[in-house]
Amino acid sequence: MPDVNGLGHSMRRKEDPRFIRGQGNYIDDLKLPGMLWLDIVRSPYAHARIKNIDTSKAAKIPGVLGFVTGRDLEKYNLHWMPTLMSDQQMVLPTDTVKYQSQEVVGVIAADRYAAADGVAAVEVDYEPLPVVVDPHQALQPGAVKVRDDKDSNRIWHWEVGDPAATAQAFAQAATVVKEKIYIPRIHVASIETCGCVADWDAANKHLTLYMTTQAPHAIRTVLALVAGHVGLSEENIRVVSPDIGGGFGGKVPVYPGYVIAVAASVLLGKPIKWIEDRSENLAADSFARDYHITAELAADKDGRITAMRMDTVADHGYSDAQAAPSKFPAGLFHIATGSYDFQTAYLAVDAAYTNKPPGGVAYRCSFRVTEAVHAIERMVDILAHERGEDPAAFRMKNFIKPEQFPYKSAFGWEYDSGDYHKALRLAMDMIGYEDLRREQAEKRARGELMGIGLSSFTEIVGAGPSKHFDILGIKMFDSCELRVHPTGKAIARFGTKSQGQGHETTYAQIIAEELGIPAEHIKVEEGDTDTAPYGLGTYASRSTPTAGAAGALAARKVRDKARKIAAHLLEAAEEDLVWERGKFHVKGAPGRSKTIQDIALAAYTNHPQGLEAGLEAVHYYDPPNLTYPFGSYICVVDIDRGTGQVQVRRFVAVDDCGVRINPMIVEGQIHGGLTQGFAPALMEEMQYDENGNLYGGTFMDYMVPTAVESPKWEVGETVTPSPHHPFGAKGVGESPTVGAPPAIANAVVDALWHLGVRHVDIPLTAPKIWELLKRHGAALEE
Amino acid sequence: MHLEGTTTIKAARQTVWEFLTDPTRVAQCAPGVETVEILEPGKKFQATAAIGFGSVKARFTGTAEFLEMDAPNRAKIQAHGNAPGSAADVISEMALVDAPDGATELKWSADITVVGQIASLAARMMTPVSQKLTGLFFDEVRKRIEGPAAASEAAPTAPPATVAASAPLPAADPPAADPPAAAG
Repeated sequence: MPDVNGLGHSMRRKEDPRFIRGQGNYIDDLKLPGMLWLDIVRSPYAHARIKNIDTSKAAKIPGVLGFVTGRDLEKYNLHWMPTLMSDQQMVLPTDTVKYQSQEVVGVIAADRYAAADGVAAVEVDYEPLPVVVDPHQALQPGAVKVRDDKDSNRIWHWEVGDPAATAQAFAQAATVVKEKIYIPRIHVASIETCGCVADWDAANKHLTLYMTTQAPHAIRTVLALVAGHVGLSEENIRVVSPDIGGGFGGKVPVYPGYVIAVAASVLLGKPIKWIEDRSENLAADSFARDYHITAELAADKDGRITAMRMDTVADHGYSDAQAAPSKFPAGLFHIATGSYDFQTAYLAVDAAYTNKPPGGVAYRCSFRVTEAVHAIERMVDILAHERGEDPAAFRMKNFIKPEQFPYKSAFGWEYDSGDYHKALRLAMDMIGYEDLRREQAEKRARGELMGIGLSSFTEIVGAGPSKHFDILGIKMFDSCELRVHPTGKAIARFGTKSQGQGHETTYAQIIAEELGIPAEHIKVEEGDTDTAPYGLGTYASRSTPTAGAAGALAARKVRDKARKIAAHLLEAAEEDLVWERGKFHVKGAPGRSKTIQDIALAAYTNHPQGLEAGLEAVHYYDPPNLTYPFGSYICVVDIDRGTGQVQVRRFVAVDDCGVRINPMIVEGQIHGGLTQGFAPALMEEMQYDENGNLYGGTFMDYMVPTAVESPKWEVGETVTPSPHHPFGAKGVGESPTVGAPPAIANAVVDALWHLGVRHVDIPLTAPKIWELLKRHGAALEE
Repeated sequence: MHLEGTTTIKAARQTVWEFLTDPTRVAQCAPGVETVEILEPGKKFQATAAIGFGSVKARFTGTAEFLEMDAPNRAKIQAHGNAPGSAADVISEMALVDAPDGATELKWSADITVVGQIASLAARMMTPVSQKLTGLFFDEVRKRIEGPAAASEAAPTAPPATVAASAPLPAADPPAADPPAAAG
């Protein structure tokens, strides 16, 4: 019998043999008989009226078979679709295009090449219209109106907290700091782009949609709701999410390409494949972030934070297509009070339409938490520096104390557990904080620029409790269906969908821990809506807090039934049985025992009369609260005065994500997440010119880090279990992406503070830092 | 993108005017122009041009129209072109004044708006490449006007303009710089 490999074991990932051998099954690996290709004509203009679409030249290209336009879809009322925030988005335009790279015409062809040739040959006559790309301008009176169906570019105004009390606290403060902080628009840039194969079976009115989606069940329901009138019925829709090459939130939304493929398959009765190319993925799929935050922090004479105020402009592009729970239009931005103990705060967000692609997705982040954490961690650093206090000591003084948990924040969130002092102290010890400060002082005296940056973040993940969280009205529970086979092996299906997180391994380990069946003997399946139980999918670090909990509780249900069978087999009373992992024995007689494997066989061959045969259970888990992972990161940078280049010399990340299921996978998640936090801090930004042209539509210009650029990560851990999760886990995937950018930004400002630099917006590129050094007389010039 | 410049051509104002308002002759100087078709003589014409920004290449098809003509002093031309996934709009003005020794001073400006894939993929090269192509164009105009042999000879269409990605660009080695007609 192999090792059980329950919680805490770094067992190798069960999915890796197929991935490292090139035997994964990604969407583009799928080829169905008779399959045709869809490619998409996209708008060069950010705002224009379509005067004419001429497909006559394209139609003559051999292999080009047909076209889908907005007018075609309009006949079926499918030319628009709802976004995740119940806004509207065009599938294909009938009159105007609203952002560059917007889908205009679908071209159907016999192969990929003919489809691309067809796209190049379609002639669209546009009348350019004025463009607004800046959200502040968009909110001014008289601005170019982005949406014809709306009164203005203001999508919504949202606020939380007590403005009067906050104003009073600021008036009484000893120290007040204020800064404008921009969290730039970035892209998830997953290695696999989006795509699908839509397969309509006309005889049975059945649609199979193979699709790169992080939330297959939600997609099925949305399809049934928006296309019910053309014959799609939920029992006849099967969504299959195959292996996914990175999602990070970018594969939660429905993009027009998916809908065009489905419509084309229904119209032609053939399977239709659509796969984005890299530039389409970068230019048209949902972006992330794009928050303009004006933040203020107040402290009393002892340097204790007393109040926070934030005023934010959110750029949503042409449609509010962000992934956020319907109750919280700015996501969980109100976690912006961070790890600090103060009870007075006010926060407002105004969302604007602009002529840019719609979004934004929660890129490796629970609904705007990255923006919140960046703002508070930058502001705490600015406040510490302003008061001449050490940023570490300042944080220690202001942290919520361990004995205050569960802690209710100024905005009403109940932090489940934490020990922030311990995590920061460990990070300081690992990196040798006091020595680094001495080294910094010596270097500064020599004119060298070295900075030490801290970030002590609190995350809010595991959406979520159904009282707060839903997507389009569907509550954010998640599920597991577990079946134990006669030979003691098992299959477990979940409502989530791994995109590389290792669910096939970690979910098996959760059940192994609960039942004592070796993880190797537990097959995990996700992503097929015909077989998996309903769930809201994988994003926002919710899989372990929700579906993982469902797995544990389904296993406990199986264990309860196993106890009845064991009692029957051992001819003992249920209450006289003792569970030790993997078997029941009779109290006081450890030799009289039945293993879970014995019990499984009996469930099908010798089950007690009056008890149903079989050994299986389903659990839908609705968490009582969110989980609050946290961490303390410390980053050391050296800045080249000759070039402005920022070199991350060291980076220590202490994460506390509660109980760890598979420490190796957790560490891998942290490495990946840190790299995806390093990226926007130093390299990535989607910039647009005044005409709405995207600068950076390829990996030549949109700089994602490779192993060459990435620093060596040093990781540490503390474990503060979640008190309400069935086995104390909290979720980890997004913590490092959220926590890393402010640590790096704080290190850079720490290196430059004595020159008079208070703040720099990320990305901290060499040209930007070079300009800053010149402005403050610190650049080394020939 | 706004470009402007001044160049002096050793020829009479009327000669320069006639050359620069003749689409066929102008096209022979413009890097990358493949075809020219007159739609309305002296007013409107259609052209195809292949332009490359580093590795990003596109073939634009479009029309150009003289909006204002004040012979032999000034003219204003508007052009619009499309390429797959991209579009370009240009408004260009030129003014001619007499210069010493019978020469003509040409002041020109161009406001160019490029949208779509080309703008997105080649944004960082757009201005230097455009400046380079403009420089090549006026060099060729000057050569043809100043060299009588060249002016009378029917030149073949210039090859597609492709300029290497490095910027600023060297003045010497672009592929379209030396059509055979100008060599003699």
